[in-house]
Amino acid sequence: MAVAHGLCSGMGGMRTTGDLVCRMQFAKSMKIADAKKYVADKLEIDPFQLTEENYVRDIREQLGMGVVTGQPNTPKGMPAKMNIEKVLGIEISSCEHFRQQVLRN
Amino acid sequence: MVVDYVTRMGDGRRVRLTKEQIMSDIVAGMSDGVDAACVPELSQDELDHICEVVCDQSKITSIEAGKEVVLSKDAGAIKFNQDNGGSGNAMPCMGRLEGILVYERAFGFDSMELAWMDYSVKPVKSIINCETANYEQMALMTTIPLIMGAMPNLGLYYAPDGPHPNPTDLMREFKIEESMASSEAAAEQLIKDIHYTCQEIEKVGCEGYNFDTVASAGDAEFYATLKGIEDYRKMNPNAYIECGMSAENVLGIHGQMEYDGKILGGMYPHEQVKVVEKAGANIFGAVVNTNTSKSFAWNVARSAVITKECVKTAKIPVHANMGMGVGGIPMCELPPVDITGRAAKILIDIANIDGI
Amino acid sequence: MDANEKALYDAMVACKVPGIIDAVNAADAAGMAPTAIIDTMAGAMSEVGVLFERGRIFLPHVLSAAAGMNKAMEILGPKLSKDGSVAARGLVVMGTVEGDVHDIGKSICSTMLQCAGFEIHDLGRDVPLGKFIEEVKGGCNFCGMSALMTTTMTGMKTVIEMMKTEGIRDKAKVMIGGAPVTQAYCDKIGADIYGESASETTEKAKAVTE
Repeated sequence: MAVAHGLCSGMGGMRTTGDLVCRMQFAKSMKIADAKKYVADKLEIDPFQLTEENYVRDIREQLGMGVVTGQPNTPKGMPAKMNIEKVLGIEISSCEHFRQQVLRN
Repeated sequence: MVVDYVTRMGDGRRVRLTKEQIMSDIVAGMSDGVDAACVPELSQDELDHICEVVCDQSKITSIEAGKEVVLSKDAGAIKFNQDNGGSGNAMPCMGRLEGILVYERAFGFDSMELAWMDYSVKPVKSIINCETANYEQMALMTTIPLIMGAMPNLGLYYAPDGPHPNPTDLMREFKIEESMASSEAAAEQLIKDIHYTCQEIEKVGCEGYNFDTVASAGDAEFYATLKGIEDYRKMNPNAYIECGMSAENVLGIHGQMEYDGKILGGMYPHEQVKVVEKAGANIFGAVVNTNTSKSFAWNVARSAVITKECVKTAKIPVHANMGMGVGGIPMCELPPVDITGRAAKILIDIANIDGI
Repeated sequence: MDANEKALYDAMVACKVPGIIDAVNAADAAGMAPTAIIDTMAGAMSEVGVLFERGRIFLPHVLSAAAGMNKAMEILGPKLSKDGSVAARGLVVMGTVEGDVHDIGKSICSTMLQCAGFEIHDLGRDVPLGKFIEEVKGGCNFCGMSALMTTTMTGMKTVIEMMKTEGIRDKAKVMIGGAPVTQAYCDKIGADIYGESASETTEKAKAVTE
């Protein structure tokens, strides 16, 4: 069911930029078109390219925002999210918590 | 020669209908939705488009490139472990972290939630320290938005699971005032439990919370959830809050529960979303129920007309609930793939949903 | 619909007990037959059920209409039978089957059936399958079962098989409902009534008794 939705209608998450668009919906309550435009502007691409896997994969790698395949020395998880914060210009609660833990002494 | 098209009934059975029958069902389904939710009709062009999608005989029908939407998920990765009663795959070896990473890196999901097997606020409250410790670890490894999630499930606060008498039983005994008092008392307890749960997840930098299957026990549950969202929003202005409903209209079990001066019982999605917005949620999960005795064409047209008005009214993004038995999807254990894509395409093209 | 019938119907749909009693007394005084008064009110009660499911009115309103109907029965009872009592439409055992704790839909269905004049034995949820058999043996002529999960709905089939084994299958109409239950499943297991909603179940149960 979930896979069918992903194939037929989904943006593709980390395969593309779906997680970034979704993050803007969550962070700023943006409707889909606004969230896509916001992310596309930040990545300096056309909104149509947001779901172009191989094109945005290189951008993600370059900006350290996490790619879906396993690649050593390419951030995933927390470091990727901290880079996403910078690119999208938002604060992510889990990253802030991580920073507090690192800096508390 | 009469040409017929293979489509489905609301219980998932294959059925052959002519284009005329399909269009007749589309018009009837839309009219039923208009009557139920008091929303404007679809245009002839929109009805024709629905017919075109239903009649498309491809196995997979998908959205046009560029019109993709984002996906959010209820029940996290626990479906991997559950039995078929929860649409699960009974894979006891699949841990929750592995499940979440499968959704992130194999399924290409856009967001995910950490959910406990007993997926309600009340049982989660008891093990919240376990959940927060797990979340903290999982947040290090995941990249997509990761929130917590559970159902408010006010039913667990009523006898025999909870201390409050069952309001529906009291109603049958014509103890109307006692019934309403019981709903109100249970709602207050749920508000406290939501507060406690959110307060604890805040301590580990949790990104947010998905309130799922809201109002399953009627208007008192919806009220408690809205108050809980309002409270959580005050705690963390940046929290990611999703509120997904359980049914298309809020059952007025109490009847006089209000939020923001509005009676909650009887609200349809376009009305629900306004109080959810007011409470402070970021994403609203709209539900339209599937009628198993009607065709997919009837159900999806009904779903489209009700959801369209919800999206039009909403200032926040609307994710249509499109699982088993909602959003035009048939009510069956294994929802057919051919219908999943068609239903989503129709809701994206006609209702302009922001996500699924 | 004449003026008395319309007044009765409107009073029921307005769901206010005093208004219902006034309309019953007026219809009675005007010479309307007690059975016709009750039939009109029962028709209106069906409309009340639909209005509840559509979210136009709420459960307390439904119960007010039912309370009004009960009062009407008290007023009209002596004219309907020598001992003043009014027979129930039927005796219904209701329950969510063993292993399943979802009972909100079932409870609403019980309420709607009660409002339509059935006597209800609601056993609650997670009901051992044998309990349904005991109730049918005890005189229930309707056996209503609900389930919300595909894992538990199979209990409905087991109950029907148990009824056959006990030789009491013809003693009760079997009604089934709940989210995963469909007409096709009803046909497959040999149940008598499938209810998509509480009001549909009630209408189908009433049709059997008419």
